[in-house]
Amino acid sequence: MVISKQTRSKIDAVIAKYPQARGALLPALHLVQDEYGHVSKECAVEIAEIFEIRPVEVMEVLTFYNLFFDSPQAKHHVYVCTNLPCSLRGARGLLRQLESQLGIKAPGETSDGRIFLGHEECLGACGYAPMMRVDGQYHEVLDIEKAKRILDSLGE
Amino acid sequence: MPKITIDGTEIEASEGRTILQALDDAGLLMNGVDIPHYCWHPKLAVDGSCRLCQVEVEGIPKLQIACDTPVQDGMVVHTANDRVKAAREGVMELLLINHPLDCPICDQAGECKLQDYAYDYGVKASRSKEPRRALKKNVDLGPTIVFDQERCILCRRCVRFCREIPKTGELAVFNRGDYSVIETFPGTPLDNDYSMNVADICPVGALTTKDFRFKIRVWFLEEVAGICTGCSNGCNIHLGVANNKVYRYVPRRNDAVNDTWICDAGRMSYREIGAPDRLRECMVRDESGRLAPTGLDRAIEVAAGRLRRLIASKGAGVIAGLASAHATNEDLFTFRRFLSALGSETSGVAVVRGKADDLLIKEEKAPNGAGAREIGFGDARTVVDRISSGGIDALITLGHDALHESLLGSEKPLADLDTVIVLDTHASELQRVAHVIVPVRHAAEKLGTFVNVARRVQRVVPAVESAWETYADGEVLAKLGAALGLEGFDGSYDARQVARDLAAANPAFVGIDLDSVGDTGRLLAGSAASGAER
Repeated sequence: MVISKQTRSKIDAVIAKYPQARGALLPALHLVQDEYGHVSKECAVEIAEIFEIRPVEVMEVLTFYNLFFDSPQAKHHVYVCTNLPCSLRGARGLLRQLESQLGIKAPGETSDGRIFLGHEECLGACGYAPMMRVDGQYHEVLDIEKAKRILDSLGE
Repeated sequence: MPKITIDGTEIEASEGRTILQALDDAGLLMNGVDIPHYCWHPKLAVDGSCRLCQVEVEGIPKLQIACDTPVQDGMVVHTANDRVKAAREGVMELLLINHPLDCPICDQAGECKLQDYAYDYGVKASRSKEPRRALKKNVDLGPTIVFDQERCILCRRCVRFCREIPKTGELAVFNRGDYSVIETFPGTPLDNDYSMNVADICPVGALTTKDFRFKIRVWFLEEVAGICTGCSNGCNIHLGVANNKVYRYVPRRNDAVNDTWICDAGRMSYREIGAPDRLRECMVRDESGRLAPTGLDRAIEVAAGRLRRLIASKGAGVIAGLASAHATNEDLFTFRRFLSALGSETSGVAVVRGKADDLLIKEEKAPNGAGAREIGFGDARTVVDRISSGGIDALITLGHDALHESLLGSEKPLADLDTVIVLDTHASELQRVAHVIVPVRHAAEKLGTFVNVARRVQRVVPAVESAWETYADGEVLAKLGAALGLEGFDGSYDARQVARDLAAANPAFVGIDLDSVGDTGRLLAGSAASGAER
């Protein structure tokens, strides 16, 4: 078994909330990704067993959504919103500056696998543009200094 | 029953069917009413993904996809007006945006729906300036199939096939939107007993069989309607013939037998026809004990001489006949008449049994066990038992299925027989004990009928001619009967006449002849479903 006991019991609890077990596939994938940072092939097989479907069907769902990963990812995920309101408030310049700060091209990750930098479409925080999402956390009304400080404060 | 009007013609449809299904039920689809389609397949669930089958339905403002629009009484459908044509052109343009257009080197060329519909509905030039999707080429999907991701138009027929027919579900669509591709789970190949059907149903050149790809351009093939001889299901096939050679079997639709499918083993059984171990000449064992090649007349003469001598000394009761479930009804009826006229009392039909499933693959690994039994051949065990108890001196055997471990086990039990006469298509251990061997025709080389497991009489016609002299089993037996002076044997054999004689002699075959069976067969009289087709 690859999936931990704790995650497994969380999956079982979610399944109980749906009239058909299959309905809980998305939440289950989230739970597994929360634990490992991605959903490995081995985890997909195990999820398939839990849901009594074929592994290839888990892969269909897993690959359909960009926010699920089937291979190991960088430790920290930084997405800069580049939609219209953020772009009008300098998001693209901000992204370029973060690229040169990290020495990478978005979307891409640092050679030590510590930070992934990408851009994203609207995250619904237009009133506080420009903004970025770091490990699920919103950081708003950014300038380059503030953004750099946030990246520097990220742990190993 | 709802009535719908398609391009001015009223048809009756069954409740709950969609427009395409109703047209297919009425036998009109692509046969009077041409609605182009990729994703819809008569034997698979509706998908609605290709959007090519759009038609205009009066009273509905937008065009509707014919594959997924249920019929309603009084519905008026237009399938070929300018609006519909414009929509099809639009869909074709989109489908072609990423297609490589490598027709000159694509094996599907000539039987490609993308080619056909591009010819009908394609725009002259692409307006797209973006690069085409660069994807995986030459993907080894499993033991039988090669996949070209770039040619794929994502109709998902193959995905649905694997889920719905063999229920193995190896294939799936990964990713989303214009990143979508067909994939297997890593390390799980496309490998099931029916896998090669995905190449038939793939409307483009994305899925091709390793066996047939690059063998010949399909437009050189003549498609001859025939029957697969791999098992007693008798799946309907087209034999792809060119240069007097069979290049492939593909399934031929018969909803009462095999729908539109065939198993991989049956499909590959075409290789038996030109196999290197085909028997190519008559052989007679000479005084030194060696088999020597000879002509048919000499082989018949030797066989008749040996049988005549035995009958004179011991009577015809010591002669046994082993029929083959690979022989046609016409061969078998001739054999039956031959054995009766001779006075032989021991006969049976040898059938090799094997794995079966609940789809198409049946236990008996020959096409005509049911026909042989109907014509009066019992279990070959009777023959085997009498041979082992020493009551038999001569054996006339069609084929070599009796060598199977479930019957004789080997040729050794026949070693002490005075006379062994073999009529066979392929070489076998029988050559060690045979006194006379005559090469006979494969089902692809002769005219006749088989009775399948559901008692359906189905026809084979000569698709190829062997490059060497071969004979129908019935022809050899007719000559042998004449050489022996048997009553009712003048040495001639005409499968059509024998079929009529069989119908006159055996009530089960009433009304069945080589014309009336047609390409899709007829049930034997007295069959449960006789008269009413499924």
